[in-house]
Amino acid sequence: MNKFLMPFLALINTTEHGEALTDTAAHVAGHAAESQGLADTLANAAGHTVKKHAPEFPNIIEILHEASQGQSPLINFIYEYRIVVFSTVIWLFLGILAYFAYRKRSIIPGGVQNFVEWVVESLAGVVTGILGRDGRKYVPFIGTLFVYIFCMNLFGLIPGMFSPTSKLNTTLALAICVFLYVQYSGIRNLGLLGYFHHLAGSPRSAVEWFLVPLNLPLHIIGELARPVSLSLRLFGNIAGEEMLLAIFASLGVTLLSFLHMPIGIPLHLPFIFLALLTSFVQALVFTLLTTIYFSLMSTHEEEHR
Amino acid sequence: MTPETSIGFLLPLAVGVAAVGSGLGLGRAVGAAMEAMGRQPEAAGKIQTAMIIGAAFIEALTIYALVAVMLLKP
Repeated sequence: MNKFLMPFLALINTTEHGEALTDTAAHVAGHAAESQGLADTLANAAGHTVKKHAPEFPNIIEILHEASQGQSPLINFIYEYRIVVFSTVIWLFLGILAYFAYRKRSIIPGGVQNFVEWVVESLAGVVTGILGRDGRKYVPFIGTLFVYIFCMNLFGLIPGMFSPTSKLNTTLALAICVFLYVQYSGIRNLGLLGYFHHLAGSPRSAVEWFLVPLNLPLHIIGELARPVSLSLRLFGNIAGEEMLLAIFASLGVTLLSFLHMPIGIPLHLPFIFLALLTSFVQALVFTLLTTIYFSLMSTHEEEHR
Repeated sequence: MTPETSIGFLLPLAVGVAAVGSGLGLGRAVGAAMEAMGRQPEAAGKIQTAMIIGAAFIEALTIYALVAVMLLKP
């Protein structure tokens, strides 16, 4: 397990501690030779030197960190944990929303309560549609995952914020939670022996028992590959989407660089709608795949009846 | 040609090749799902769910290529 995750841990280190983050404006402005004035304006505005990194929009914490020149210990601390800080903002928002929806509830729902009930019922419908009636107990976990991931994906579209899901730390943490819960539910539903029987490919006949040495490693590798593919899919999609937006925004700035003014054409506007779609679809895919992992783990016995 | 140049030249090409494959796959999958929905509109919800999951698996391959690019970027 440890050995298996090594490359990914290395990846986290590079994404986490790899020098100050990128700044599209400074990056592009540095490359546009004739627009020295613009380069200065933008580099000062964001306070970055030109660095070789993937283009990304600057966010509030980075700007604060650059403005304070690393002098303030509080801002340094926040900067170090900026991904966690942004996710904390999101779960606080969701918690407060849930509190207000739950506090003043009535038989005839209105306003916030109506909206929250609609979200919960749709999610419960999707989950029970795949898992059947027994799946109701997984609705809180899976529904929370969906709402949380959807909000994190959308958060990057607010100027000055960024998506925690565009870093592998967040997505890998979520995927490991899913992995552990799926294994736990498998042991809980099938029993310890039944769980290993399931991992061995549910052998019945003599031939199937003979194939167990082949099936068991295959199933174990398959189980271990799930959190990796789950996290990489979400991370790649959201990071790619943010990068696309940043590249087109910087292209819009570069096009007007001959004016020597800090303005640009919003070329990334059409891709914002694409980003809205991607945010929803990727949150839905993460949720649906989690549901399917649960169904593969729990209903395996019924398939053979 | 330095290694950096060759990597910088080939990485976008690699994503392009991966995107061609998953584009073909997505086209087939979504086309078949649309046809199935046209034949049986009452099963549209189930078909859509299955289609989204399949599409996620197909496009994940391109995303892996993109992640490789992000890692290898010179």
